[in-house]
Amino acid sequence: MNSFGVQGYWHSLAIFAAHYRQSPLQASAILVGIILAVTLLTGVRATNENAIASYASVTELLSQQASYTISPKFAQSHINESLYFDIRQQGISQSLAVIEGVLMDAKQKPWRVQGSDLIAAVSALSHQVADDSHSTASAPNPFSGDIPLARLLNGAPVVLMSQSLANKYLTQPFSLAGQPLEIIAVSDDFNLGQRLLMDISLAQRLMGQEGQLSYIALFGELTYQIPQLESLIAQQALLVENDNGASMTALTDSFHLNLTAMSLLAFIVGLFIAYNGVRYSLLKRQHLLTQLQQHGILKISLIAAVISELLVLVIIGAVIGFILGLQLSYWLQPMVSVTLEQLYGANILPGKWHWSWLAQALLLTFFAALLACSSLFVDLYRQPLARNSNKLINEHSAHQSHKAMLFIALALGTIATIGMPFSDDYRITMVLLGLVVIAIPLALPWTLMQLVSLISRLFTKGLVGYQVAETKELVPPLSLAMMAILLALTANISMNTLVGSFEITLKQWLDARLHADLYMRPPSDKVEDIARYLQQQPDADKVYKQWYLKSSYQGYPSFILTRDANSIEQTTVLKQAMEDIWQQFFDGRFVLLSEPLALKLGLNVGDKLTITALGDKPFTLAGVYFDYGNPYGELLIPPALWQQQNLPAIPTSLAVAVTGDEQALILRIQQTFELSDAQIYSQQGIKQLAVTMFKRTFSITQVLNSLTLIVAAVGLFSACFMLTQSRLAPIARLYCLGINRGQLRLMVFVQMWLIVLLTCLVALPTGALLGYLLIHKITYQAFGWTIAMVWDWQAYFQVIVLALLASTLAVILPLYKQTRRPLVSSLQSELL
Amino acid sequence: MNILKLQSTKNWPQYLTTNLLLTAIILMLGCSDSPPQGSASMGNIMGQQSSGFAPVLDTTEIRFPADHNAHDDYRLEWWYLTANLKTASGEPIGVQWTQFRIAMSPPQQQSSDSGESSAWATNQLYMAHSALTSKQSHLASERWSRQHNQLAGTTAKPFSVVLDNWQWRASGEDLFPATLSVTDPQYRYELKLTTQAPYQLQGNNGYSIKDPTGEVASHYYSQPFIDVSGWIERHGEQVAVTGQAWLDREWSSQFLKDNQQGWDWFALRLDDGSALMVFQLRGQPNFYSARRMFADGTGHAIANEDIQLSPIGWHKINNQDYPVKWQVSIASEQIALEVSPLNANALQPLTVNYWEGPVNATGSHTAQGYMELTGY
Repeated sequence: MNSFGVQGYWHSLAIFAAHYRQSPLQASAILVGIILAVTLLTGVRATNENAIASYASVTELLSQQASYTISPKFAQSHINESLYFDIRQQGISQSLAVIEGVLMDAKQKPWRVQGSDLIAAVSALSHQVADDSHSTASAPNPFSGDIPLARLLNGAPVVLMSQSLANKYLTQPFSLAGQPLEIIAVSDDFNLGQRLLMDISLAQRLMGQEGQLSYIALFGELTYQIPQLESLIAQQALLVENDNGASMTALTDSFHLNLTAMSLLAFIVGLFIAYNGVRYSLLKRQHLLTQLQQHGILKISLIAAVISELLVLVIIGAVIGFILGLQLSYWLQPMVSVTLEQLYGANILPGKWHWSWLAQALLLTFFAALLACSSLFVDLYRQPLARNSNKLINEHSAHQSHKAMLFIALALGTIATIGMPFSDDYRITMVLLGLVVIAIPLALPWTLMQLVSLISRLFTKGLVGYQVAETKELVPPLSLAMMAILLALTANISMNTLVGSFEITLKQWLDARLHADLYMRPPSDKVEDIARYLQQQPDADKVYKQWYLKSSYQGYPSFILTRDANSIEQTTVLKQAMEDIWQQFFDGRFVLLSEPLALKLGLNVGDKLTITALGDKPFTLAGVYFDYGNPYGELLIPPALWQQQNLPAIPTSLAVAVTGDEQALILRIQQTFELSDAQIYSQQGIKQLAVTMFKRTFSITQVLNSLTLIVAAVGLFSACFMLTQSRLAPIARLYCLGINRGQLRLMVFVQMWLIVLLTCLVALPTGALLGYLLIHKITYQAFGWTIAMVWDWQAYFQVIVLALLASTLAVILPLYKQTRRPLVSSLQSELL
Repeated sequence: MNILKLQSTKNWPQYLTTNLLLTAIILMLGCSDSPPQGSASMGNIMGQQSSGFAPVLDTTEIRFPADHNAHDDYRLEWWYLTANLKTASGEPIGVQWTQFRIAMSPPQQQSSDSGESSAWATNQLYMAHSALTSKQSHLASERWSRQHNQLAGTTAKPFSVVLDNWQWRASGEDLFPATLSVTDPQYRYELKLTTQAPYQLQGNNGYSIKDPTGEVASHYYSQPFIDVSGWIERHGEQVAVTGQAWLDREWSSQFLKDNQQGWDWFALRLDDGSALMVFQLRGQPNFYSARRMFADGTGHAIANEDIQLSPIGWHKINNQDYPVKWQVSIASEQIALEVSPLNANALQPLTVNYWEGPVNATGSHTAQGYMELTGY
């Protein structure tokens, strides 16, 4: 560009600025789109990244940084601490002994407690710090203040608690397992969360686990010591290479993928709005642009000015969106935190954000917007100076582009259809699903045109005929907003279907699964007394027992469990099973697997599997049972086998069928055995808890979903608004022809509603399709849960009403404005 | 434990990161109002107040073999071996092994505060340093542990002092004969230690004062005449070594006064068969102490005013100057030695940061031994 061009460029920019001062609405339409897109993108990103960062440092604290951990063997709960001494004596000094457990305070509230050899921890950490000193993260010093390490090491009754918890508990006497404890507050930055930390000397004693460890964490480079370690450990425990939280991340991966997908969807919907805004503002300036060219400003200068204008709007929009996004994340995080803490016991770190997110959001938005608007700019570039031929070109190109989009949509749909049956990884399925999600709106303009043509054949005469025929003209300018709303509707309907279906499935499953009236998980030293006590109570009809151990089976975190025969028969909700399963199951040759575990292991009924802890003899998989909402796999064995294997004889939990007053029995048990509310649940309570937990799990998804829908509604509003405004001239013309205001209003509304309703009609099958894929592909592959799909008409109509509301509002405003203007000014306003 | 994630290391030299641990110890020793800035020095540990711990008295008699074992009522204690060795091919090698014991609380506090006894409960902390020095390289490492009969501590019958697999194991109740073995990822050694010479009580019958008034003192004895044979392994390559070693045993509840910055300590075996221990505590004024010792067990203390120590050569390590060459003059003993290091880079980059390495001396005698420089 020469200096003349540059001058033209600056002139154009100045004129554009003046133009936007004149009609700020146009600029704000573009800005709203960009702001919404960036807000959702940033909000979800900040939420996700904070959550993921939290797993790494919070979940297992230091042990996450361990290179290996030594865990109890399958079906054992502890390691003998002599193994730790052996390891240290062999010179593997960077190792840490840890005991974990749950202790009750005076009010029978359970606390998760971790006890470790604090000196070994500091020593291991100082090595970690030395290895990792390039990291700039400033970790605060736990020993600032008055942490009495000497007393801690000496087994004094001192417990470390995060500051925020301590604020609540410092003022009152605190005791665990009957031992009064002094609370030392440590900064929340250590992410103790709800956990308490002690020295191992105290923790072992309070847990009654003298000589026992939950695991040993090994640090540093150990490659050459592995053979030595393996021979030391021999049959006592399992040596597991640490995956730095990968197993935890795997559990939550699908959750975050979900969120990311939702945020991208929202981003795209937001861009639709921005694109629409750009398109509208260019349309409005068509005359101006032609005039500028006629005044001798080069086309290249004009295009450069238009792109610069877009860049400025993107920067303003992205910055505002970024700030709002961080605020959004601030609101979302507690929700995610609750979900993850309930499901996986992970805490979320206090929020952090990076400038790079802003830069990335800016670049992404700018290039996405540029890409989206490129066709507009190309059109602008090609536009001949004589303006008259313009309209034809637009129409012609609209028809062409509708066909092209349909073709792309069909191609994407075909790829997804072919690929879907072959994918059994939810991540790949998610990508294929993405293709479907893109294909659906692309096919919309063509479909809408076809539908409107169909309808126009029904009404050929009079005003109605004109009305329908004109609707056809409205489809191209509205198609973008409609694509956005279709996307949002489809996502919303499918998500509602998934959530609704899961809720119903979960409730049905709970009904079958819970056969007793009361469930309790008392401390192990009270279980047998309580069982005996219950058997003597006249109002306790039957007592059921359950035993389980947390372990890992072939690398999957799992429970091995058994129940009394009666409970197994009555409460196992089988998905598949061999014939006459209960006649054979209890003779000790068979096991049952929960559905998610069976799916992960790729096992079917009749397959053989060996469980090292239960000897070399292979077992036959007798059946697979449904298990929802459980992040761990389950391996159910007959009670006789459990007892033969010398597994812990004391039941982990008890259940009672009550004949009399439930509350009275609860009260009696609580008073006799000092059980807390958290240790005893009625069937109703469990169901409520399960449903609440489930709702929380999905609440964030639903919030995002609603946000997307709102974004789309805003898009629809702005599109309808701008369209109606640009139609003021033809409407005024019709008025001049003698059509009264009432008829005109009705006409404008009906046209809008028709398009919106048709779009909603399209959203019905697409939403169902997406819902089907979410349930039977994504959820099944990610979580291993079979869910029966239940269609929710009510939710469907709710979103339709929202869409209609948005479009009605968008039409009312310009119409209202019009009635306040002289007719002639409407007539003078530019044509569509 | 994240909870134990330590202070930002931003402003600290990288080699000091591990002294975070020291911060911890100093804080828990009750000095929480002023955590040390920058380098931790021996003075931070050594200069702690001794209230509540057993006092060092000139009336306390040193008895063997009982005093080879840990004295838990005193705040600080060490078993300190330095060896000047040669490989079969004649390469000079220095080996240092130090086992520290630190009491985190005075004895009476321990009994009142401890809960029901757990084998893990202790107020004793063990820290060991080890180094293997040749002309070209200086390998040093460190271990920490709480006292625990399976992890770290001493036994009397037979005598042993152990931290993980760094172990001094004697065959009887005496310190010698013994095997000292240390394994680190970078190096290993196993040394057989024997001696025919009696122990040497430093200071006044083992009561060694650290300032002119005797306000600060320690119990201190040495064994300068130890024969060593064994092997060392560097980078997987094992070679036999022989030579002489020196053991220092010292325990106290306070080693330094507030105004003393550190010390320079020399343990030299002269070519006439005698041994010389000499140190200065730098302060206002400097305090000197020395003893000339013979293999038959005889020896004599040397008066403060007869001792002259002056640095004659400095060496910069990590932007810090260390006086690695010294002139040692004791006119009353006709000793005038110029002491120079085998490897000037023998800085221990450990929690406690000090220079310690093998030295050779020439002048009135030729001599071999070890030098320790702290508080720089």
